[in-house]
Amino acid sequence: MGVEYTSVQWNRQKRFYDFALAGGVGAFLLLFGVISKLLFPLITDEILLIRAFGAAAFVLLHVILCIGPLCRLNRRFLPLLYNRRHAGVTMAFLSLVHAVLVIITYHAGGDTNPILSIFKGSPLVGSVAGVPFQPFGFIALVILMLMAATSHDFWLANLSAPVWKSLHMLVYAAYGLLVLHVTFGVLQAEVSPIYVAITALGLVIVLGLHLTAAFKEVALDRSCNDTPGNDGFVDACALADIPEKRARIICLSGERVAIFKYDGKVSAVSNVCQHQNGPLGEGRILDGCITCPWHGYQYLPDTGASPPPFVEKVPTFNVRVKRGRVFVHPKPNPPGTRAEPGVIPVEKIELQTA
Amino acid sequence: MIAQGILLMTGGYLMCGLVFAIPFALVGVGKIDPHAAHGSWGFRLLIIPGTMFFWPLLAYRWIKGVHEPPAEVNPHRCAARKGAQQ
Repeated sequence: MGVEYTSVQWNRQKRFYDFALAGGVGAFLLLFGVISKLLFPLITDEILLIRAFGAAAFVLLHVILCIGPLCRLNRRFLPLLYNRRHAGVTMAFLSLVHAVLVIITYHAGGDTNPILSIFKGSPLVGSVAGVPFQPFGFIALVILMLMAATSHDFWLANLSAPVWKSLHMLVYAAYGLLVLHVTFGVLQAEVSPIYVAITALGLVIVLGLHLTAAFKEVALDRSCNDTPGNDGFVDACALADIPEKRARIICLSGERVAIFKYDGKVSAVSNVCQHQNGPLGEGRILDGCITCPWHGYQYLPDTGASPPPFVEKVPTFNVRVKRGRVFVHPKPNPPGTRAEPGVIPVEKIELQTA
Repeated sequence: MIAQGILLMTGGYLMCGLVFAIPFALVGVGKIDPHAAHGSWGFRLLIIPGTMFFWPLLAYRWIKGVHEPPAEVNPHRCAARKGAQQ
């Protein structure tokens, strides 16, 4: 949550995250180098480096792609999400080193432009091993570089979160291209099927986690009642369904709404964090503010506005509490507009705390 | 021949972006986004690669005199805006 942009808004968690990330990547490169030298004693240093950086980038991409669905399925993975963009930039950097090494080793020094040389056909035409795999990798690298270049919050604000997110969804296109790049590349270099099997296993894990998380989300949205009563309010949920200082998420007016219970009151805000569209309803009330589980952006529950000097705002909803049920008006108020919280009758609070 | 042409055009586009990125990172970024007006040198350096990709959009905003980032569009914000206008 920043008032003025800096290169990186460092804090203790980010330092720890980056330290663990750098340590993990370093350990992977070292281990890969040692094992490769043991298994392939004749391997040249150039080839070893190309493979090590390429493998590190590909493995890190799998980890990055798995973080999102894992967080949807289990909140304990949320710390991995906090600084995921640094993992993404690291992965793009590893890919770039891999690509530069490939260009220097295989494409520089000839008559043809090194970039054009990547797109030239393979001499092994007419077989699976002859499929030119390098263009897949090159296009994926362009996507990854575009994502890394727009990873700062400035781009998030100036492209707007939905556009920025759509742009960064291209990571799935990059992943698909890299699966082709690795599969066909390995087919040309190795005869053992184990490498293709490992790539396929990674693909199954990534797809499996995404599908499982998607089914969970669809089930949540389908379970929502959005039919308003005579007074225009929708019967959202039972008061007892909302844990203290946490939220119940329902679907209303084409988007999710987070209904928070706190300090004897109930407030409802749009579930979409203004920062990176994180799910506010999966966060909790900390220091009197709704705190986004992704990056800690905060909003006051009754106004939907970030506490000063911050300027982020989300739409609010009018709420009523009657006979142990929470009713929400489906018409959102403009972002930052105060909506009177629903007051929980004292006897209900006593019952819940008893 | 076609590939060479595409490569040249891409290179030219990115080169134009680099030329634009220098004054933009120094002055323009603060004009289109108030949070960037006193942004650090590290921040200004970091936005250069992205500016090389998106320079036509940023140039358009700078020339048009836009002073705020665009408002986000999602169903709740649209409905709230519509309700406020009625």
